[in-house]
Amino acid sequence: MNKVLKTFVCGVALIGIALVPACRTKKTPPPVVAPTVTSTSSTPPPPIDTTVKPPEDFVKTDTVAAEPKVTVEALPADIEELNRVAQQRGLLQDAFFGYDEAALSANAQTALTTSANWLKQNPGYNVLIEGHCDERGTEQYNLALGDRRANIAREYLATLGVDASRIRTVSYGEERPFDPGHDESAWAKNRRAHLVLVGR
Amino acid sequence: MKIATLTLFLTIAATAAFPQTQIQTTIDPTKATSLLRIAIPFPRTALEAASINSAFFAPLTRDIAGSGIFAIAPIPPNIPATADLAKSVNAQLVLSLAVDAQPLASDPQQNEYIIEARLLDSTGSVQLGKRYRGPWTAITKIAHTLANDVVRTLNGKPGIFLSQIGFASNRDGNFEIYLMDWDGGSQRRITTHNALSILPSWSPDNERMVYTSFVKGTSDMYIINRRGGGRIRLHTGLGLNTSATFSPVGNDIAFVGSVLGNPDIYLIRDDGTNIRRLTSESSIDSTPEWSPNGRQISFTSGRSGTPQIYVMDAEGANVRRISFEGEWNDDATWSPDGERLAYTSRVNGRFQIRISNLVTGETHIVAGEGSNEQPTWSPDGKWLAFQSNRTGRWQIYRMRVDGTDLLQLTFNGENKDPDWSKKAE
Repeated sequence: MNKVLKTFVCGVALIGIALVPACRTKKTPPPVVAPTVTSTSSTPPPPIDTTVKPPEDFVKTDTVAAEPKVTVEALPADIEELNRVAQQRGLLQDAFFGYDEAALSANAQTALTTSANWLKQNPGYNVLIEGHCDERGTEQYNLALGDRRANIAREYLATLGVDASRIRTVSYGEERPFDPGHDESAWAKNRRAHLVLVGR
Repeated sequence: MKIATLTLFLTIAATAAFPQTQIQTTIDPTKATSLLRIAIPFPRTALEAASINSAFFAPLTRDIAGSGIFAIAPIPPNIPATADLAKSVNAQLVLSLAVDAQPLASDPQQNEYIIEARLLDSTGSVQLGKRYRGPWTAITKIAHTLANDVVRTLNGKPGIFLSQIGFASNRDGNFEIYLMDWDGGSQRRITTHNALSILPSWSPDNERMVYTSFVKGTSDMYIINRRGGGRIRLHTGLGLNTSATFSPVGNDIAFVGSVLGNPDIYLIRDDGTNIRRLTSESSIDSTPEWSPNGRQISFTSGRSGTPQIYVMDAEGANVRRISFEGEWNDDATWSPDGERLAYTSRVNGRFQIRISNLVTGETHIVAGEGSNEQPTWSPDGKWLAFQSNRTGRWQIYRMRVDGTDLLQLTFNGENKDPDWSKKAE
């Protein structure tokens, strides 16, 4: 309630300040500066209303938005099953990369942020990050590129607060594709930093 | 040329009881205007012809034909190997063979095989006379040894017929390290990691290989001898450990290591000591390979934006770019004379073998179907082995440097990462 009152008072104060120039004594008007932006059409200011209304963005706080429902389910004890479930439920997400790229896209960062959150909430596991590439490059350069991808993901998790000592990396280059196909949809699935939970 | 050759032959006195004779010749096969015609009649033998053919005669004649020095003169059957034969088939040389078996003195249940070989010129003079002995399991090796001796008799240098090609094959499940003869014979496995093992590279004495294995869950380098024993792991403490290659001089191994995801070229002694870092760009540096004199190292780097071939001194200085065509070049390997690099080069969406002359700057591709990668030179610089997926799976092929005489060497499972031994024998 106090908060409501504060907001109301601030809103009135703002409107009051806006109204002040109308109460001043007459002075020579300042020189008119031609506006530089001409692309938007200017709308005339709304007429001054004597009744004070709350600002349009006033949020009614008596109705509290419902918090997202948290379902707590037991996680499988077997680590292979856990990995399967974690990926399936999107608790642990892989980062995907562009062709011959090792930089993290916005989507990759989002995926790793989700993974980091889960990892921080579940300190009982370590994680192995596998770097993978699609088949279109050469075997040896791809082993190096995979190493780069795995480490960029590791570094990002660490900046998000995951203890770096919990994270190990390996590069498989193009040796272990997720999709054996020979088209872009397969290749896109193979260019990734793949997260795997391992025991502590 | 022919008369000069015969004169040279005649100046060598024939000697008794099969001693080896060495011709003091200046014939350089690479400058020969014509190949020496040699007739090789089927060996005189009481043993079963089909086995003698597949285990001995066929490998021998393939070697002679592959030498680049000889052309095999076709001969009608049942003609004795005499000087008349040479004239009647217009050959300058005849290789006369006999194969016999006799019980081993030490173990009469076992047979010893004796191959007698005489290289005759058209006057009947013996230029090479030798007797080879061994068990049946050594018959093919005898064929290759004899071919090497024939080539050395004419050339002063041995042939490459005992050289070996190391490679990776998944015919038994996981990729493991295998060896085979230069003609694809005697394919045998030497590692038993039951885990991904790839990228073998020979030591300069043909005795050991260094390779990469994921048996411990990450990339590690191992050294093993050619019979599969003496395996040791090289500890580096680095993230990536791969693309290892022996120096042709000394005990160093160049490899790709990484710290915090920055792959670079490193050196390590073959006993695991003295790790040195050679490159330090923030870009990827990979796939090192030594020049034949051990003074330079070629490698691949992404420092210009795409993977390209570079060369530097073996200490890491004087880095210069070699490849300028295409947006993906990798796997550089040096010709034995140090003048050319063969490497994998992307052309029109597929990979081809590109040969670059370091002296003249000239480059050209040796085009093939499908994608063709990871070339490796024969010890005499006349052949390249490489991997191709033209049949749908990776297989290893051999071809002359000009692309002719293409031969598929592997058929079973997927086969890749060929590395040809550096020594001719």
